[in-house]
Amino acid sequence: MLIIGECINASNRTVAEAIARRDREFIEGITKTQVEAGADFIDVNVGAGQGTQGQAIEGMEWLVKTVQAVTDKPLTIDSDVPGIIEAALRSYRGETVMINSVTAEPERLESIGPLAARHKALLVALAMGSEGIPDTVERRLETCETILTRLTSMGMSAEQIYFDPLVLPISVDSRQGLVTLKTIERIKARYPAAKTVMGLSNISFGLPSRKLVNRAFLLMAAYAGLDAAILDPRDDKAMSLVRISDMLIGKDALCKGYIKAYRQGKIVD
Amino acid sequence: MSEDIIAALKENVIQGRKTIADEGIDEALSGKPGVVELTQSALDNNIPLETIIAQGLTAGMQVVGEKFATKEYFIPDMLASAEAVGAAMEILKPLLEASNIETKGKFVIATVKGDIHDIGKNIVAILLKGAGYEVDDLGVDVPTEKIVEVVRESKPQFLGLSALLTTTMLVMKEVVEALKKSGIRDKVKVLIGGAAVSDEYAREIGADAYCTDGFHAINVLDAFQKSGVQ
Repeated sequence: MLIIGECINASNRTVAEAIARRDREFIEGITKTQVEAGADFIDVNVGAGQGTQGQAIEGMEWLVKTVQAVTDKPLTIDSDVPGIIEAALRSYRGETVMINSVTAEPERLESIGPLAARHKALLVALAMGSEGIPDTVERRLETCETILTRLTSMGMSAEQIYFDPLVLPISVDSRQGLVTLKTIERIKARYPAAKTVMGLSNISFGLPSRKLVNRAFLLMAAYAGLDAAILDPRDDKAMSLVRISDMLIGKDALCKGYIKAYRQGKIVD
Repeated sequence: MSEDIIAALKENVIQGRKTIADEGIDEALSGKPGVVELTQSALDNNIPLETIIAQGLTAGMQVVGEKFATKEYFIPDMLASAEAVGAAMEILKPLLEASNIETKGKFVIATVKGDIHDIGKNIVAILLKGAGYEVDDLGVDVPTEKIVEVVRESKPQFLGLSALLTTTMLVMKEVVEALKKSGIRDKVKVLIGGAAVSDEYAREIGADAYCTDGFHAINVLDAFQKSGVQ
């Protein structure tokens, strides 16, 4: 499973403050720990609400340069504002890049789609449209169809698209775990070349022992066909389960990845 | 007898038992009447509506709010209690309408333009209904003009605005400005909530209060009532 490290996100106040005061050391540190923990991509998010868009753009340019100074891992540019994404791509060096995210909403599809196509970027596509997050599998699939049709007409291939089935809190609606899992299954069955990705933490909102709930859901999602997870790679138990799930569903020939991780002390009970 | 029914009603609200078939937190209640049955027997015993609501339902939800605040209760616990109270209010509604008892006030709630997150808003709406407010939920992605129009036409005492995103929280300011421009800002108390906003932001945009969750909103509204909002 591909791991997208989620820790550099301005919705976390400490991170937002570090970005605001251009704290290079802080960002370098949080980048390195995520890479060492096994992140394949580093997500970068500067938020948008505080200050002007110009400030957000400057923040994003600084962040991209700062993170790339200490790692060769590709970045996930996390924004729904085309101007901020463009600024990040301008500052970016390297072939592989991921944009997070687009939806089936026409204005986002028509602004972010062409950007991703032009830069040959991987693109996270949320299974939702203008009416919000559909609460059924069928309607989430319809939004995926809309997105895929439009993006391929812009010259993107299914391989570049990472569909996010979306996760709603199980505490509010007890059917939502299955809705997400079945959406993953159906996406993989319908578009075998396309990828799937999701964030883990939403499922456990409003419940006790959240990390344990997240980890259990990760295993189920892996079986349903999840290709990538957005998580905190510093959670060594979650990372152990990522490696174990790869092994258990036949993605780890001769269990090499698992044993290697074990020898490195990365499998934590 | 009456005291017993009201005490049981309050306890079953706390336990989140809507009907006789529901499990509570305390297993000893299993198989005993739930909120729906107790509300009906309260009516059969001629207990006044005010007593049923204030000392049974609202008093129970008050305890639920306290337990939620101290993290003894989680969201599903709270929703079970709120649903039970909602079911009781459905039974009482025709009687309330026939009587002269007024609701605590009209509360219009909406997720602002550009934002489609509704989980928090829905929970707040459920809790406010349970607390005796008449709630008009305008839904998500509600245009500013629409909000202003509803405030002008249906004259609620309270307006609740929700936004999850750092981008869409800016729309709350637009709504406050639009209310000012229409000359109706002083007719309604504006409450804001959502992950991105804060007390500080409420002050900055000229809203009347920031609420961390539905129970907080109930307390804020009660404080407004005491200070005499018309």
